[in-house]
Amino acid sequence: MEPILKTENLWKMYRTGRMEVPALRGVSISILPGEFVSIMGPSGCGKSTLLHVIGGLAQATSGRVLLDGNDLTEMSDAARTLLRRHKVGFVFQRFNLLPTLDTYHNIALAQHIHGNGFDPHRFEAVASLLGLSERLRHKPSELSGGEQQRVALARAIISEPKIVLADEPTGNLDTKSSETVLALLRQLNKDLGQTIVMITHNPEAATYGDRVLHMRDGMVVNGSAAHS
Amino acid sequence: MIGHMIVQNTLHRPVRTFITVIAVAVEVTLVIMVVGLTSGLLSDSAKRTEGVGADIMVQPPSASIFMAFSGAPMPIAIGDKLQQLEYVQAVAPVLVQFNSVNGLDIVYGIQPETFRSVSGGFVLHDGTELRDSNDILVDDVYARAKKIKVGRTLHILEHDFHVAGIVEHGKGARLFVLMSTLQEMSGAHDKASVFFIKCDRSDHTAAAADEVRELLPHYEVRPLKDYISLMTSSNLPGLGAFINVMIGIAVAIGFLVTFLSMYTTIIERTREIGVLKSLGASKTYIVEIILSETTLLCFAGVVTGVGLSYLTRIILLKVFPSLPILITVKWIFLAGLIAILGGLLGATYPAWLASRKDPVEALAYE
Ligand SMILES: Nc1ncnc2c1ncn2[C@@H]1O[C@H](COP(=O)(O)OP(=O)(O)O)[C@@H](O)[C@H]1O
Ligand SMILES: [Mg+2]
Repeated sequence: MEPILKTENLWKMYRTGRMEVPALRGVSISILPGEFVSIMGPSGCGKSTLLHVIGGLAQATSGRVLLDGNDLTEMSDAARTLLRRHKVGFVFQRFNLLPTLDTYHNIALAQHIHGNGFDPHRFEAVASLLGLSERLRHKPSELSGGEQQRVALARAIISEPKIVLADEPTGNLDTKSSETVLALLRQLNKDLGQTIVMITHNPEAATYGDRVLHMRDGMVVNGSAAHS
Repeated sequence: MIGHMIVQNTLHRPVRTFITVIAVAVEVTLVIMVVGLTSGLLSDSAKRTEGVGADIMVQPPSASIFMAFSGAPMPIAIGDKLQQLEYVQAVAPVLVQFNSVNGLDIVYGIQPETFRSVSGGFVLHDGTELRDSNDILVDDVYARAKKIKVGRTLHILEHDFHVAGIVEHGKGARLFVLMSTLQEMSGAHDKASVFFIKCDRSDHTAAAADEVRELLPHYEVRPLKDYISLMTSSNLPGLGAFINVMIGIAVAIGFLVTFLSMYTTIIERTREIGVLKSLGASKTYIVEIILSETTLLCFAGVVTGVGLSYLTRIILLKVFPSLPILITVKWIFLAGLIAILGGLLGATYPAWLASRKDPVEALAYE
């Protein structure tokens, strides 16, 4: 099977003052359609940077990123914007909902930006799958952390992205909400075949996926099956 | 969707929204009032001058079209020469004084007989014509505004006048005294500021004007037929500049306030802009959101400003009842357009800045 995402010798340098600091040092990974991959590693090892680069939010310094056959490193800023719009769904640790909009409009906004118009059936299905049907008129400030993350999840998948990129999605949640969100991610993966890459600090969270990538100092040090 | 979002954004920061809307409203009010007051004063004065009923107006060389502001009186004897011209039927010399205490009033010093022969005479609402040197005639608008009755004393031009009569408005000024009295008061003996001329037939106006020009080469000779159309700020260079400066100040206020408002907004919403970008929102989309929000704020400001203008006019008319303030649809529209364009210009840089934000940095913004 062709990988949905593939990186080749990916480097990312950050310039701090006169120093060039490498955040990624030759990352080569490959993710198949329908996989649920967790990325673990100590703080500062480059996990978020990797996620930003493969999601087209940041540009790599060298190497290649192939997402659904498109080379992100060759693309203009505008082209990467289009790619994010149509193929990537992000979920962040801090939920990052728009505080002025209620649940309904936070999700609908993603559909609006996506540009295929409002699809009531898709909306209905996603809202009920994530248990948000009763929460559509609530603003983020009126929702619990777990609920906010479910809204963020709904927003990420509403436009049927090729890949969901989640950066410590349970990092701000209590155990119970974490379990709910992780269970939902697994359900999305199993039932809808949604490809997911999730960063986590929590080894238990990593077991929800099929496979774990360990990172250290900007490199992937080994891949392993999640359950071994 | 964008509509809903920008409404929610404006509601989210009510104080910011309120201040921006009020600033734009003040801008609009300033434009409407400055234009309304100057054009109101001009057209009011023009209408009354035309209402004298004369065919031609003669003023000293290089006199301003805005009669009340130009002194330099002419010898009254000129009137006799004018009277002898072929097409001239009647000549009325008038000495004009400008009273600026408690409002802006023009006072005409007239000779009752000559003024009647040119204008056809006053329509008296109450009292009598001018007879005594202390008499003053007041028009009905002025009388109503200042609650003046016949027999009362009116202190004007540092002089106590006896209100002899109340006349129908529209004959050049709102206040009339005997020319001799005004000459004495202003030390302008045997002088007049303007001669009003009545021709023997109104289709002889052009011919009569030519006669007058021949007699008085450098004098300002103005047929009164198109007088109102001449009395615009563009014919008064100083006034036009004043209006432009005031409009410029108003626009600067609107520009700076929307700039600051939208600038602080995009800083405050840095992370939200990052979120929009992560969702795949283009630069155009982000610019569109910010400019739409600006348009909404400015539009609310324009509506408020128009309301505020009418309110200001009501209040001003309570204090200065005879003040003519001309609020026209054209200038409501223009002031609104100026405010919205100025606001959009002010929001351009913030919008550009927002659209260029780096998504990763924006998402990390606290
Ligand atoms: N904008 C930046 N400028 C400079 N250095 C950065 C920037 N972002 C991240 N880094 C550095 O890159 C490395 C990797 O960061 P990050 O990808 O956020 O790690 P992780 O998500 O694994 O904690 C860290 O050393 C961090 O300090
Ligand atoms: Mg991180």
